[in-house]
Formats: sequence, structure tokens, C-alpha cells
Amino acid sequence: MNDNYLWDKTGEPDPEVQQLEEILGTLRYQPAPLEIPEDLQLPRRRNYFPRLAIAASVLLAILVGGLWLSMRSRREPTPNEAKLTTPAPVKEVTPSLPVTPERKTPELKPEPSEEVVAVHKHRPRSSAPLLSKSEREEALMAKEQVMLALRLTTEKLSLVHKKTQNPGNQIKNQHRVG
Amino acid sequence: MKSLFKTTFIASLLVAASALAANAQDSRIQMGSLDHLAAKASQTVDVNIDERLMKLAVRLLSDKDEDEREVKKLVAGLKGIYVKSFEFEADGQYVVTDLEPIRAQLRGAGWTKMVNITSKKEGNVEVYLQFAGENVNGLAVLVTDDKELTVVNIVGPVDLDKLAQLEGQMGIPELGIEKTKKKNDEQ
Repeated sequence: MNDNYLWDKTGEPDPEVQQLEEILGTLRYQPAPLEIPEDLQLPRRRNYFPRLAIAASVLLAILVGGLWLSMRSRREPTPNEAKLTTPAPVKEVTPSLPVTPERKTPELKPEPSEEVVAVHKHRPRSSAPLLSKSEREEALMAKEQVMLALRLTTEKLSLVHKKTQNPGNQIKNQHRVG
Repeated sequence: MKSLFKTTFIASLLVAASALAANAQDSRIQMGSLDHLAAKASQTVDVNIDERLMKLAVRLLSDKDEDEREVKKLVAGLKGIYVKSFEFEADGQYVVTDLEPIRAQLRGAGWTKMVNITSKKEGNVEVYLQFAGENVNGLAVLVTDDKELTVVNIVGPVDLDKLAQLEGQMGIPELGIEKTKKKNDEQ
């Protein structure tokens, strides 16, 4: 028996192999055009564009809002800072030469890195830190107007007081009616 | 049907909102009828502080400064301060009818004329208060002189005691009430 039949279909075939070939041969690939049944309904393709556009707009708005908030918070004044750096242990410097009290040698000065550095950034405290510049200006004007109005009101009420003290004036009504 | 319900609901909301707004502005007096007098006046003071500006101004009033703290207490609950004051060089620059729209509002419900002083030499002063129950909800002062016309309108809960406490502070003239009391106590 020549085994080459299984390899390259040469030589004498084995009857069992031939039988198997016949049985399985019916399942061999048959080239044929694709037939689509007429009653088949294809699902309609959904248009996701409007939803995507809305989602993108919302996302963009959130991003812009976040950026604006972060920029706004950066602009707000930070509280007073007090920074104190702990000094390194000062090395005792023994002068090589005897030094008079008046004479100061550069060797005796401590190194700049060993100095105690206290930084106190003083910023004017604001009673309304959340006010923007334009709001603050508006608030200042409003405050001045309020003071002016109160001044005028109390001035006029003072006039009332003076006149009620003076019996020469005619007071028509000084009590609640109705 | 659904849209009809929706429209009715929105309309009722609008009506309720406008009613609330009208209630809040009850003690506000419209002074537009006096605007034309500014052209004749030698000096005009026009103060228009609504609720928003009032809140802004309150934020700038310090709690540490005693004077400002008192002013803050007084104006904190107010909804507005409106002042129109005209000073004229000559007599007769305004007529009684100019004041009629304001007087008509002050004759309306809620307002009570507390003081009415008439003086030929020094002019007339009228003080009106608007009450909400037992509390004062608005103040109006009308000062008419030959050469002066002033209308002051404070909207909101006015604490007259606190207003009196402001005397002598921050350029606000003294009424002399407290001093008189103190002197009497000392005697």
C-alpha cells in the first residue's frame, strides 16, 4: 500500500479512505451566489448623532465650568502665610587669631543657609473676599449711598425732633390712626 | 389636554410670583413724578438702593468697627432705601401737584401718618410708617419747604430704636434723645 495517496493522492487508495471520501464529499464547499430571502427585513440603523451632540455639549459645559471655577479660586487671595525655617545647628567658629571686640571678621558671621528665615506675607484682610473687582466697586458705591441716605434720614428725623420740642409748631398728628 | 394643564400651571405660578413680588414691594414708593424737578434744582440727591445693592453694601460694613456694626444691624434686613432731595435757589420751583402721586401712595393701605408738622418758617415735615402687624415694615419722610423738597423711603423692617442709636455716628446728626435721657437720669 502506498501511503502517498493521503499525502498527494498518488498511488493506490485505501478502500476505507475512499469510502470516507465519498461520505464527506457531499459536505464539500459548493460555490454559489448569496441568496437573500425577500421577506427578510433589515433592522433600521439608528441615528445616534443628536444624542452624541447633546452629550458632547454637556461635557463641554462641565469642562468649561470646571475651568472657570478653578481659575476663579486661583484668583482669590490666600490666607496669611508664616513660614519659619528651622535653623541648622550653628557651628562654633573659633577664631584662629585673637580678635578684639570691635573688630569683626567675616569668618564669625554665620552662613546664610544657617540663618533663621521668618517670612510673614502680610496681606490686607478683606471682609468680602468673594467679591470681584467690579462687585466691590459697586458695593463701595452702594455703601456710600446707604450712609448718605441714613445721614439724610436721621437729619430729617432730627428736624422732626426739634420741631416737636418747640411748642410754637403746629403738630397735627402724632399718634397712629386706624 | 395635557398642554392645557401645563399652561394653566405655568400661568398660576406666574401669578403667584407676581403677587409675592408685589407684596415685597408694598412699602416702596414710586417717586418718578419728581424726576423733572432735577432740572430746576440747584442740588439734587438721588439714592436708589435696591435689595441686591443693599446686600452688597452690607458685605462691606465691618463687624469690627463699632459704628459700622450698628449701621450693619440696622440695614441688614432692609429691602431698599430710596431718597430724592431737591434744593432750589428760588421759591416756587415745585407745586403741590408734583407731590400728589406720592401722597396718593401714602394714603394707601398700610401707611399711617405718624407726624405732621407744619411751620410757615421752616416748612412741613410728614413721617409715615407702614406696619405689618406690630412691626414697622416701611418708613417714609416727606419734607417740603419753600426751597427744598425731600422724600425718604426705607423699605423693609425699620428698627426705629436702632435708627435713633445711629445719631452722632459717622456724621449722622444727633437727635438728642439719649442725651436728654441720661441727663434726667443723672438728676
